[in-house]
Amino acid sequence: MSRISRKTFAKLLIGKSICEALLVIAVAVGLFVATTNRALHGGLDRADAQTISGWAVDDGSPGRRIEVQLFIDDKFVEQRVANEARPDVHQADHAADDRRGFAFKLPALAPGEHQARVYVVNSSASLQHRTLQIIGGPISFRSDALP
Amino acid sequence: MTAEPNTQSFEVADGSKTAFTDRSLAGWEIVSVVSSILIAEWMAVTAAGFTKAIIAVPVALAILVVLISHGLRNESMYDIGFRFDNFLNALLLLAAPVVLTALLCLLIGWKSGAPVNFLRWHPNRYLVLQFVVGFGWALIQQYVLQGFVNRRSMILLGRGWGSVLMVAAIFGLLHLPNVWVILITFLGGLIWAAIYQRVPNLFALAVTHSVMTWFVVSTLPPTALHHLRVGLGYFF
Repeated sequence: MSRISRKTFAKLLIGKSICEALLVIAVAVGLFVATTNRALHGGLDRADAQTISGWAVDDGSPGRRIEVQLFIDDKFVEQRVANEARPDVHQADHAADDRRGFAFKLPALAPGEHQARVYVVNSSASLQHRTLQIIGGPISFRSDALP
Repeated sequence: MTAEPNTQSFEVADGSKTAFTDRSLAGWEIVSVVSSILIAEWMAVTAAGFTKAIIAVPVALAILVVLISHGLRNESMYDIGFRFDNFLNALLLLAAPVVLTALLCLLIGWKSGAPVNFLRWHPNRYLVLQFVVGFGWALIQQYVLQGFVNRRSMILLGRGWGSVLMVAAIFGLLHLPNVWVILITFLGGLIWAAIYQRVPNLFALAVTHSVMTWFVVSTLPPTALHHLRVGLGYFF
């Protein structure tokens, strides 16, 4: 290979790497925007061996009822709509009405430490994709005895 | 950088001198092409709201690198393995490993209780047509894997087990995260890379590649092969 050719080829490889890096960044940003809804938020108020409760709202669409999913120890347990009465959430100006709460009744769990996660379901504008956004972070609780 | 037989000094854009060898350039070429394929396999373009056609960008860039590399290294189609003079020699060398692998597939399929069905490979398509499509796809894969990656690996590591292992490992890596297919392609990669280094004929490799794919799909448990899906597509 000639010296010039090698130099040109090395520049081409650098240019290609830059193009691909920009493409990957663009797709990553697009993926973040498409799958994340910053208007969705909520909180967990109670987590124990019997109940996990909290609230969830969509600031971008105040009238919409939010679907929430409960996972315990990384396993799906239940999905429900956050439509239970939570006047305190309304009074704190987090929601347009009172019915933004949820409460999961937990199944029988083995004794010991468990970790619960509650996610709000985020549907894309085209409704092609549904992603989960955690609310309140993972929360640990203890189940003392089998019922 | 330590002195190497084929080290040549080469001036980069900022004017500094860098020792840049054929070996390091060959290594860079391999990384560049393999990374393009991995990007194409793993980019979540549709979920990000882009058209699937964007995958053509890294693929086109990889093809460009491969073609320019051939030109710069004065490699002809004949050198790369698009030839017929050694076709039968290559097939003869491939026969024993192919028969052994076929028997191994039958044994594993029989042990795992999977039903053998030689019409399972795209059942909606005539088998002859599927062989033609399979041969074409196998030829593309073998061209990239042997005609480019293996040849650059030989520049980087020399002819022999080092470069053969490297080619097989890359072939396996490109089939992540499908564990069974990684294992199968790694073994296949070892056989094809070793034989290509002795008798470079891409047509013979592609024939055995398509026949082996047919045999693997027909004999091994479909649940384990997961429709031969790789990359992000494995999960959907």
